[in-house]
Amino acid sequence: MKRHDKMIKRLIGASALAAGLCGTPALAEELRFTVWTGSEAHLSMLNGIAASYTEKNPDVTVRFETIPFADYVQKITLQLAGGNPPDLGWLLESSAPTFVDAAVLADVSETLKSTEGYDFDDLSQGAMGLWQDGDAVYGVPFSTSPFIVYYNASLYDAAGLEHPDALAAKGEWTWERLKQDAAALADAEAGVWGFQSVDGQGYGGRAVHTLIPMVRSHGGDAWADGTCGWASDEAVEAVSLYHDMIFKDHSAVPPGEQGDFFTGNAALTVTQLSRVSKLKDAAFDWGIAPLPSGPAGEASVIGQAAIVAFAQGKQTDLAADFMAHMTSAENVAIMAEFFPPARNSVLEGEAFLTSNAAVSPEQMKIVANGIANGAVAPGHVAYPQIESAMRPKFDALWKPDADVKAVLEDVCAAIEPLL
Amino acid sequence: MKDTAIRPPLTLRTRDALVGWLFVSPITIGFLIFFVGPLVAVLGYSLTEWNLLTQQSTFAGMDNYADALGRNPEFWTVLRNSLVFAAGLVPLNMALALTLAVALSRPFKGVVIFRTIFFAPVVTAAVAWAIVWTFLLQGESGAVNQMLALIGIDGPNWLRHPDWAMFAVIVTRVFKTVGLNMILYIAALQSIPRDYEEAARLEGASGWQVFRLITWPLLAPTTLVIMVITVVGSLKVFDHIYLMTEGGPENGTLVLAFYIYEQAFEFFNVGYAAALAVILFLLIVLLTITQVILKQRGGER
Amino acid sequence: MTRFQSPFVRICWYLSLAILAVPFVFPFLWMLSGAVKSQTEIFSPSLSLLPQTWHWENYAEVFRYQPFARQYFNSLYIAVVVTAGSLFISSLAGYALARIRFAGSGLLLLMLISALMMPEEVTIIPNFFLMKWLGLMNTHMPLILLPMFGSQGVMATFLMRQYFTALPPELEEAARMDGLSRFGIFWKVALPLSRPALAAVGIITFLFSWNLFLEPLVFLSDIELFTLPLALSNFTDAYGLPLWHLQMAATSLAVVPILIVYIAAQRQIVESFALSGVKG
Repeated sequence: MKRHDKMIKRLIGASALAAGLCGTPALAEELRFTVWTGSEAHLSMLNGIAASYTEKNPDVTVRFETIPFADYVQKITLQLAGGNPPDLGWLLESSAPTFVDAAVLADVSETLKSTEGYDFDDLSQGAMGLWQDGDAVYGVPFSTSPFIVYYNASLYDAAGLEHPDALAAKGEWTWERLKQDAAALADAEAGVWGFQSVDGQGYGGRAVHTLIPMVRSHGGDAWADGTCGWASDEAVEAVSLYHDMIFKDHSAVPPGEQGDFFTGNAALTVTQLSRVSKLKDAAFDWGIAPLPSGPAGEASVIGQAAIVAFAQGKQTDLAADFMAHMTSAENVAIMAEFFPPARNSVLEGEAFLTSNAAVSPEQMKIVANGIANGAVAPGHVAYPQIESAMRPKFDALWKPDADVKAVLEDVCAAIEPLL
Repeated sequence: MKDTAIRPPLTLRTRDALVGWLFVSPITIGFLIFFVGPLVAVLGYSLTEWNLLTQQSTFAGMDNYADALGRNPEFWTVLRNSLVFAAGLVPLNMALALTLAVALSRPFKGVVIFRTIFFAPVVTAAVAWAIVWTFLLQGESGAVNQMLALIGIDGPNWLRHPDWAMFAVIVTRVFKTVGLNMILYIAALQSIPRDYEEAARLEGASGWQVFRLITWPLLAPTTLVIMVITVVGSLKVFDHIYLMTEGGPENGTLVLAFYIYEQAFEFFNVGYAAALAVILFLLIVLLTITQVILKQRGGER
Repeated sequence: MTRFQSPFVRICWYLSLAILAVPFVFPFLWMLSGAVKSQTEIFSPSLSLLPQTWHWENYAEVFRYQPFARQYFNSLYIAVVVTAGSLFISSLAGYALARIRFAGSGLLLLMLISALMMPEEVTIIPNFFLMKWLGLMNTHMPLILLPMFGSQGVMATFLMRQYFTALPPELEEAARMDGLSRFGIFWKVALPLSRPALAAVGIITFLFSWNLFLEPLVFLSDIELFTLPLALSNFTDAYGLPLWHLQMAATSLAVVPILIVYIAAQRQIVESFALSGVKG
């Protein structure tokens, strides 16, 4: 039967080849590495790291392949299921438990621990949490990046408002204050909004990342220990604040609209350090500030992403070796320009503060503080299912007359069985 | 040549059978491999619990069907959405197609230009059409709402409002496909002999009476074809949903074809998605047969 | 020529048709207009079709953002291969089903007809695993094989059969007398006579392949291998924000050439579709 299979396979495969229509076959020594950034600055940095690896291993090349963030997990899964896995890839914290649990990631602990000069213990234990299971290591975080506020300084100055970082230094930078500023700075005539959600995706793929900083600073959380927290009074208060910004103040970019901070169409946004690359040609002055505090004080939220090797890949040892190269102290310091590192030695060094020419040491301090005090965004083994269960429920929030408490109770009812 | 001398020559019938099967063999083999095989396989898949990510599958009997029909309330939402989509799209599409066809079946100055215009979306990629309409239907700043504002209407956030999203998707889909049905109706209208109408006119029938008593019954075969094509077309709608609403808001536009894709390739539930595919298959068979039977009954009377 | 009873009726007639035409024409105009606007202007509340400043560089940017020329070529050559292959396979089979009496032809025809209406969503999951098993994942083969042998190929076969059935048999008799083989009759007599049907099937198949979306979405992962529809759905910045100016420029590039061909060959194309529906 097996032979039979093979013959049919060959026959059909051969006729396909004969037609000369197959995709280009991969080189034996090419590593395919999937990422979700399309930024030229990021890619040239990554290619630089790959080049230094090729220098040491002349017959190995690394090809970075961009998959847009919104489809990333799905496309990777499709490639894994289709028997066409990338060798390495980035993976977000929310997907970590799912992928580790599904046993599709390669255990790279041996390679990392045996690589000379790697210094495995330098990796921050807190950051490694999601990516370790006993002795097995399934990934190394390359970005432990706190969510921070970006503000359009030109708009702030024109309106004569005090900058958020100055307010933060005085302890007056609160979500209430952000709400007021956004309302004051929104200018419908000029096409300028007050506040943009995380990457403008706050009503879709980044709803959790958009809401969690608000919710945690009010003392709530998405879920913990199998209990849903969205319907808590704290969370309701936080989400109501955002709801008011959209539908009462008309200051936050509403669903279905687009007002991008990075093109000057929104005065404030919350996102991560890596988006600095989008400000290279910005026609306005900008600054960064910590997340505002809420009734429960400051609550820094960290989005984490790791480099993983896929167990199905045909060259897992090589992939692990490249991973060791990429997350060596030297290269982590290079990547720190956009991706705050998980290596204690780099994070604590002075060099980190000056790693990005566009970001001042003071601003980089904000990032470093965010990492030191932050907690990682919510994750779960069943995250894909939880997200799909939450999405239609969250949709009900984005209406002017939505009953926030009732909607969030619906969210909880939908995800509680999955937690 | 030698062979034919030894063996009795093939009869014409046998030779025809050989040549016939030779001619149909490419499509038959391909059809068996890429259509019939998968159709059988999907039935098998639907009896398993199969995770696309872990690639593990176990026999699950009728569990997936029980999930769909009983345990998972989402399925009924999806089925309802699919039927609402069809029930909204089919009459709207056919009425508009017939209206346009009646208007454009007789020559007048510029008739070709108008036909060309109404048919243009048919040759345009559905993806392009859906993308451009998504752009037109943006909340406040979208072109559609700006136009409505000119005449004093405060348009809703079309694709984000649970009550309007379905409507918007249906209407844009009608614009995309109505040209095809219009052409089919025009062809049918033009094949109706003018004498019939003229005779009726001489008898003193009004335009509406001519249409109702003569034209419409003569169009019945075309109407059946169009109806079957349009109903099935509405059940397989995927790209419009994928690009315009992704099934949202509040699952308001989650239709079966998209739900199958989502379950299989986004949430990795291969077995459940296969069961949904089987249900879609049955639904299409059922609807097609019903329509043909209904029409035949109508035709006999 | 329809004669209008009065100038007033004539005006009303044209005016209502023009209003009805708006949702069919305006999207194309707005697309072309968005393609030359800046990212900022595209969101300013204005209904102006002309941009404040012309940004032709959007078109160049499209090619930098994705390997768009390559993707364009992919779509083109796949559509050509599918069309050529489908024409050959479907006319061969259509001829046999119409003209040759052989055991099982009735059953085969019935089987094919019953598949006419089946959408690809029903079989996409097994086909995914079939293509994986054949090692054809992330190649163009699924995009070629599935349209050729799935319901689109069946439709083509059926249309060809209908056309051949209507051809007068005397023509073949004469050819047979001249000693032509079956294939000779098919190739030298029947095919040349079926140009209108071939054109119709060709046009419909080409457009079907050109517009295919679900298959590329499921089978392709390498951006170099993308086809146009898939490439078009991919114009967001890496974090998911749509880049409408590039999106509109790319969409224009994909749509306008087809529209030009359509307008030039309007009669032929429209008739092809009419034929497909009448016979189907």
